[in-house]
Amino acid sequence: MRHARIIFDGRELDIDIDTNDRITTTDGEVLDVALDSNDITWLAPVKDPGTIFALGLNYADHATELSFEPPKEPLVFIKHANTLTGHKQVSYRPDNIEFQHYECELVAVIGKTGKNIRREDAMDYVAGYTVCNDFAIRDYLENYYRPNLRVKSRDSLLPMGPWIVDREDVADANNLRLTTEVNGKITQDGSTSDMIFDVPFLVEYLSKIMTLNPGDMIATGTPHGVVDMQPGDTVICTIENICSLETRIVSEKEYFGDKY
Amino acid sequence: MTANTLVHSKLVCVALNDKSQLTALEGTFNEAPYKKPPTQPVLYYKPRNTWNVDGAEVEWAKDFDGSDVTAMAVGASLGVVIGRETCRVSQAEALDYVRGYTIVSDFSLPEENYFRPDIKGKCLDTSAPVGPEIVPADTIANPDALTVTIRVNEEQKSAFALADMQRSVAELISTISWIMTLQPGEIIAVGFAGDRVPVAQGDRVEATIEGVGTLTNTLGGA
Repeated sequence: MRHARIIFDGRELDIDIDTNDRITTTDGEVLDVALDSNDITWLAPVKDPGTIFALGLNYADHATELSFEPPKEPLVFIKHANTLTGHKQVSYRPDNIEFQHYECELVAVIGKTGKNIRREDAMDYVAGYTVCNDFAIRDYLENYYRPNLRVKSRDSLLPMGPWIVDREDVADANNLRLTTEVNGKITQDGSTSDMIFDVPFLVEYLSKIMTLNPGDMIATGTPHGVVDMQPGDTVICTIENICSLETRIVSEKEYFGDKY
Repeated sequence: MTANTLVHSKLVCVALNDKSQLTALEGTFNEAPYKKPPTQPVLYYKPRNTWNVDGAEVEWAKDFDGSDVTAMAVGASLGVVIGRETCRVSQAEALDYVRGYTIVSDFSLPEENYFRPDIKGKCLDTSAPVGPEIVPADTIANPDALTVTIRVNEEQKSAFALADMQRSVAELISTISWIMTLQPGEIIAVGFAGDRVPVAQGDRVEATIEGVGTLTNTLGGA
């Protein structure tokens, strides 16, 4: 089963999607609408977003691309819900920057409270998986708490969804093809099997530091192939058996309107 | 997460906002891995599992092998509570978006460096007490004129005059609001004394700001 949040017919709805793409609200109402319909506005799929962990340098090839040694310990940073946006929504590119890139990532959504979780029990705490695009404004990197919030925590720079796939419906999250297309051209093509630290490791690691709660999310890092984005570009992040997440880049002026 | 915490949704803290600390670390900050001093506010989150309240115990942290850590430290800050949606506001109008003020204590592992996000040091359960209450903004004439003191077991260990901050309260609200939209009830801890105060198991820690109150917490593990 897949789970999402949408606006449809003026209503904000929590929905389930079955294998025949049939949509049912949590109240049991069946919606007569196709998943690709423009009448659906997709929201980020986690209803009560908690702590969003993101991994830096978690794919050996990406670490090499950025001229770093692969880390011996996870490089974890935290993003906040202000960054979240949904499928087919927009993200903005700040004015006067040189380099903004996407990062297609597998997201593990925590479903159960836990502390000091052992690796062999870790999957019991994962409710499901989704896809995010963890945008970064590379111009703003400074060597303090790097990657700092100015690079990673801007509004709209974490598209997520469109839906969460139940954990039991994903046979092996550690062996999924991951691709990114920019304006129809594949720029990123990797596999979650290349992660340095896999989901069970990360659940164990984080839960030794702190209590994990339902609605917390772990974005697990990205493989090589990041390229610059410009307003007008469309980027689609896909992880097989999970979902495809489409985002359009707009200018700062278009995004903020009156507040520009 | 502790029930009835005063934080709504987000607690963002400003590191390295003590001028004397920046001066003391100037040499270090010109070397690797930093290479140059920060040009922007250095920010970190205390996530929701850290939020705690006045009068409550703060857990003594464990190492990865499950034994008690050998050292913890505390800093305290003025907490600025946002009153309405704050997106890309100027420094001149920034204080108009403040609903009130409170105190934030930040219990952590000792700060060893500022290069990578300090998840291990900063994200400890119950390590961010906030309180004892939110005093209305109009009761504080000038937030930058306040002093934050820390007493441990009734002995004063630290006094940080916010006049010594590299960036003022208004400047921080403005700068942060250009990075992220702030919502009502979200809190910014604007600055901590550079020298964190060492604490031990069982210590009673009081963070005080005149006109805002005293936030009292006890370390667990004794």
